[in-house]
Amino acid sequence: MNTVLQLADVEVSFGGIHALRGVSLTVEKGEQLCVIGPSGSGKSTLLGLMNGRLLAHTGSVHVFGQDVAALTARKLRRVRSELAWVPQNLGLVPNLRVLQNVLCGRAGRVGFFGLLRRMALTSMNEAEEVRALLERLGIPEKLYERTDTLSGGQQQRVAIARALYQEPAAILADEPVASVDPGRARSLLQLLTTLAKEEGITLMMSLHHVELAREFFPRLVGLQAGKVIFDQPASETSEEELRELYAVGEE
Amino acid sequence: MTKLSWSKNWLGSRRLTLLLAVVLFVVGLVALKADPREMQPSEGGLKLAGKFLHAAVQPALDYQADDLPASAPSFWSKVGRSLALTLRYAIVAMSLALVGGIVFGVLGSRAWWPAVAQGSRASGLLFFFLKCLRLVVRGVATLARSVHELLWALLFLTAVGTSPLAAVLAIALPYGGTLAKVFSELLDEEDASAAGVLWAGGASSLAAFFTGVGVRAFPDLVSYTLYRLECAVRSSAILGFLGIPTIGYHIATAYEDGHLREIWTYLYVLLAAVMVVDWWGALVRKRLSRSKPAREAGSRHDTAEELHRKRPKSWALRLSLVAAMAAVMLGWMTEKQWQSELPKERRQANLERFMMEIVPYPVRQENDWGELWPWLGERLWTKGAIGLHRTFHIGTIAILIAGAAALMVVPFAARSLAGRDPLGLPGGREMVSGFRAGVGWLLRIAALLMRSIPEYILAFLLLQIFGPTVWPLIFALALHNGGILVRLGAEVVDNRTIRAAELLIVQGGTRRATFLGVLLPDSFSRFVLLIFYRWETCIREATVLGMLGVLSLGSLIDEANTRLYYDDLFLYVLMGAALVFAGDIVSDLVRRRLRGPMVRSSAFRSG
Repeated sequence: MNTVLQLADVEVSFGGIHALRGVSLTVEKGEQLCVIGPSGSGKSTLLGLMNGRLLAHTGSVHVFGQDVAALTARKLRRVRSELAWVPQNLGLVPNLRVLQNVLCGRAGRVGFFGLLRRMALTSMNEAEEVRALLERLGIPEKLYERTDTLSGGQQQRVAIARALYQEPAAILADEPVASVDPGRARSLLQLLTTLAKEEGITLMMSLHHVELAREFFPRLVGLQAGKVIFDQPASETSEEELRELYAVGEE
Repeated sequence: MTKLSWSKNWLGSRRLTLLLAVVLFVVGLVALKADPREMQPSEGGLKLAGKFLHAAVQPALDYQADDLPASAPSFWSKVGRSLALTLRYAIVAMSLALVGGIVFGVLGSRAWWPAVAQGSRASGLLFFFLKCLRLVVRGVATLARSVHELLWALLFLTAVGTSPLAAVLAIALPYGGTLAKVFSELLDEEDASAAGVLWAGGASSLAAFFTGVGVRAFPDLVSYTLYRLECAVRSSAILGFLGIPTIGYHIATAYEDGHLREIWTYLYVLLAAVMVVDWWGALVRKRLSRSKPAREAGSRHDTAEELHRKRPKSWALRLSLVAAMAAVMLGWMTEKQWQSELPKERRQANLERFMMEIVPYPVRQENDWGELWPWLGERLWTKGAIGLHRTFHIGTIAILIAGAAALMVVPFAARSLAGRDPLGLPGGREMVSGFRAGVGWLLRIAALLMRSIPEYILAFLLLQIFGPTVWPLIFALALHNGGILVRLGAEVVDNRTIRAAELLIVQGGTRRATFLGVLLPDSFSRFVLLIFYRWETCIREATVLGMLGVLSLGSLIDEANTRLYYDDLFLYVLMGAALVFAGDIVSDLVRRRLRGPMVRSSAFRSG
C-alpha cells in the first residue's frame, strides 16, 4: 500500500463560497510535493483535508487507504498520529521549554498521562533522544531554553523537531517559512527536504514563494480559485504557467 | 449603511458615551437627593478627622487603655493573632475557591469544545449539550459571586452561628465564582494554535486542551489568582465587622473604645500584608512571563545531562510554589475547630429554624404560598425598590467619579508620560523633569494606598467624619476604584506603542497634547471597558456598604437582621444578588461588544 493520500473529486465550501471545486490528487509514499497558488486559492483548505481537520462536502478523501469521513474517532486519531502538522504560526507553546514542546510531538501516541509524565519527569534517555534530534536541526544547546526566548528561525526548527519526533508517515506544512528572510527560508527548506528524504517521510507543503517551491520540490500542484490548474514535475513547469497562475488578482 | 454601522458602534461613540455618563450622574444625584452641600463635615466630624489624622502619624505601639487585666495578652500578640487569622481565612478560602474556579472555569469555557466535538460524529447534539452545560455552569458561578462575601457570611452566621468554616465559605463561594468566570475568559482568549497542532497529530482532546491551551494560559491564571488572594485578604479583614475576630473586628472595637491610634496600627498592618501579597504577585508574574537567562550557557557539545544541569531555573518561582503550598497546609491544619463551638444538636436546630424563618411570614402562618404575593409586593414596591435604586445609583455615581478622576490623573501617573523621556523618546533637559517624575511617583503610591484599603473600612471611617449621608459611601467606592483605575489606565497607556503618539512627540507636541489628541481617543474604548468592569464590582460592593447605616439594600438587610426578620433579610439579599447578576450580564455584553468579536479557537478548524 504505497498511496498515502487520495482525493477524488473533492468539493469544500464555506458559507456558500467554494474553497475547493472538483479537486483530485494522489500522493505516493516518500513523495515531496508543494502546493502553490495565490492567496485564497484553497491551499490551506487542501492541507486541512489531508489530516481530517476539515471534511469534504462531496467527493472522498482517503488517507492510507482509509476513508476519512467514515472513520471512528479512535481510528481517526490513529490516522492523524501518522501525520505531523506544521502550521504557519508554528503552534508552539511559548512558555514551555524546547524539550517539552518537542515531546508534545508524541502526544498522539503516548496518551494524556504518558504525555504528562514525559513533560513533568523527562527521563535522561528521552532528553538525549530529543537532543540528538535537535542536533540534526542545528540547535542542540537550546534543549532546556524557554521556547519564546528563541529567534523566529530557531522556533521553526523546534516546530520541525516536534514534527519529526512524532515519527510520522507524512509531514504537512502550511507556509512554514512565510515569516523569515529568504536565506533562512532556503536553509530551512533544505534541512526539511533532506531529513524527510532520509527518513522516508512524505512531505506536503504550501508555499508563497514560487522560486523556493521550484528549487526544492520535484512536484508542483498549482491551485487557482479552488481548482487544480496543473499537477506536474517542477522541471516541466514553465514561467508562462506560473504567470497565469498568479494573474488572477490583476484582472 | 451609515445608520447601521452607527447603531452597531454606538458604544464606540465617545460623545454618546460621555453624554450617557453625565445623564446617569445627574439622574443619580437627583434620585438620591444627594445635596453636594451635605459633603461638608459637621463640626464634630471635623474635630474627629483632625484627631484621626493626628493619630495616623503615631499609630499605637501598645494598648491605649491602661485599665487592662494583667491576664490580657500583649498588644502585639493580639495584633499578630488578628493578622494571622485574617491571612489564614484568606488562604484557606482561596484554596477552596481555586479548586471550584478551575473545575467551573474549564467547564464554562468554550475553548475545549472543538477538541471534544470534532472527533465525534454526533457534533450537533454534542454542541447543544455543551452549550447548555456552559450556560448552567456560568449561571451558577455568576450566582455565587452575585452575593457579596459579607452577605454570604451574614447568611451563614445566622444559619449556623459564628465559626471559622462560615468565614472561609463566605469568601470561598463568591471568589470561586469570580475565578471560574475569569478563568473561562482567559482560556477562551488564549491562542489555541498549539492545541490545534497536537490535536491534528492524533492527541486526545484532553491532552491537546491541557497542553496547548491550559499550559499556555498558566501564567495568566496564576497572576489572576494572586490578585484575588490580595482581594481575599481584604475581604477576610472586613468579615471582622460581623464579629469574626479578623483585623476588621479590632478596627471596629478600637473605634468604639475611641482608640484612634490603635485603628491605625491595624490599618498599617493590613496595608503591609496587602502590599506584600501585591509585591509577591508582581514578582511571580515577572518570572513567569520571561525567564532569567541561565548562569552558564549550554554548548552544542554538551550531553543532555550537562544541558539539564545548566538549564535556566528560577529560585523565586520554586520558593513561591513551596511557600504557597506550605501556607495552604498551615492554614488548614492550624485551625483546631472549623465548626462553631455550639453542640451539634444546637447547630442543627439553628439551621432548621433559619430554613423555616426565611419562608415569608404570612406563608409560614397560613401555610399557603398564595399569601406570598401581597407580602412580596409590599416589600418590593416600597422599601425594596427604594433600596435597589439607591444602591444602583451609589455604585454608578461612584464609578463615574472614579473614572473621571482616573482619566485626569493617568497622564501624570503613567510612567511613559511622567518620566523625562515621553514614550521613551529623548525628551531633552528640562527644569521640571525631576518634579514631574516625583509627581508621577507620588500619584502611583497614592493609587496603591487607595486600592489597598478595603472600601468597607474607608466608608466606615468617612461616615464618622461626614455623617450618615450617601457621600461617604460614594467617596469610599470612588477612592478605592479610582486607585485601581489609575493603575489599569496607566498600564493601558504604558503598554501600547502608538505610532501617532510618538509622531506627535517627535514633531514637538507636548505631553498633554499627545494624551488628549492621540492616547486618550485611541485608548478610549479600553478605558470604557475598564470602567464597565469596575462598575459591576462597584455595584456589588454597594449592596453591602449600606449596612453601615445609609438607606440602601445594605441598610435594609442590616435592619432585617437586627429585628431577626430572616424572611426580609433573605429577600433583600436576593434583590441585591439580582441587581449584581443583571449588572454582570450588562457589563459582559458591553465588554464583549467593545472588545470586538471574540477570538475563537479557530486553529482547530483551519490553518
